[in-house]
Amino acid sequence: MNQRERAGVFQQEFFMSALKSKTKPDVLEEMVEVLVRTGRVKNKRIVLEAIQQREVLGSTGIGKEVAIPHCRTLAVSSLCVVFGRSKKGIAYGSIDKKPVKLLFLVVGPPIEKTNQYLPLLGRLCERLHHAKTRNRLLEAEDYKSFLEIMEGGE
Amino acid sequence: MGRSQIELLVIYQDIHLMLQDTEKEEANIGFSMEGKEKLLQAKKEMEKNIDIRFLSAYKRLATRFKHPIVPVQDGTCLGCFAKLPTSFSARGRADQTIFTCEQCGRMLYWVE
Ligand SMILES: [Zn+2]
Repeated sequence: MNQRERAGVFQQEFFMSALKSKTKPDVLEEMVEVLVRTGRVKNKRIVLEAIQQREVLGSTGIGKEVAIPHCRTLAVSSLCVVFGRSKKGIAYGSIDKKPVKLLFLVVGPPIEKTNQYLPLLGRLCERLHHAKTRNRLLEAEDYKSFLEIMEGGE
Repeated sequence: MGRSQIELLVIYQDIHLMLQDTEKEEANIGFSMEGKEKLLQAKKEMEKNIDIRFLSAYKRLATRFKHPIVPVQDGTCLGCFAKLPTSFSARGRADQTIFTCEQCGRMLYWVE
């Protein structure tokens, strides 16, 4: 993930190192709340519902303690990624039935000039496939180390 | 909690586009998509809550445009880039009515 790819997508305010939620509905809301607080989302209901509906399609808990809840919705005007971590783990209905500890909430607008949304999802999945990346993310102390992990080489 | 007609329509369109993304998400990224039927059903259920006039207008627009509802940014319709009358924006945010672009006919949603 190079600098251009993540420009404006990751933000210090979107780095949640210790999520409070213990359930899937709660954690989705907790993460969307950050987008509301930072002014990226005005209508929380729409975004939350779109994310929940996406889960109907199939769980975004991709296994290995990782979840990537995501949606495109008219209720946001730019692509953003919220990172959340729960060291205890959250029951998420993942494909491997394991609780999730690392979450990436990806929300983008339906019309996007640079067409980054799907490629970004693909890159995230690819990245998180590596045990080394996941372990480092579990330990990342601050946003700066998080960025280094996300931008670093394979 | 009661949702406004435009909110319902926006979610309706979001789900519609989501269903269009499924193949790419499955083939290119590897997400599981076993709930496609369930989501189609949920989308159908939603139609019951949308005013028939708005729903048929939406469906008519859907035959012409990929996005029947488009965002408004800086007073511009992002469907056709026509500048909207200034009186429009103030009304669009406050009202429960649905505004359409005079130029292209798409429904408008004020993101900000
Ligand atoms: Zn227009």
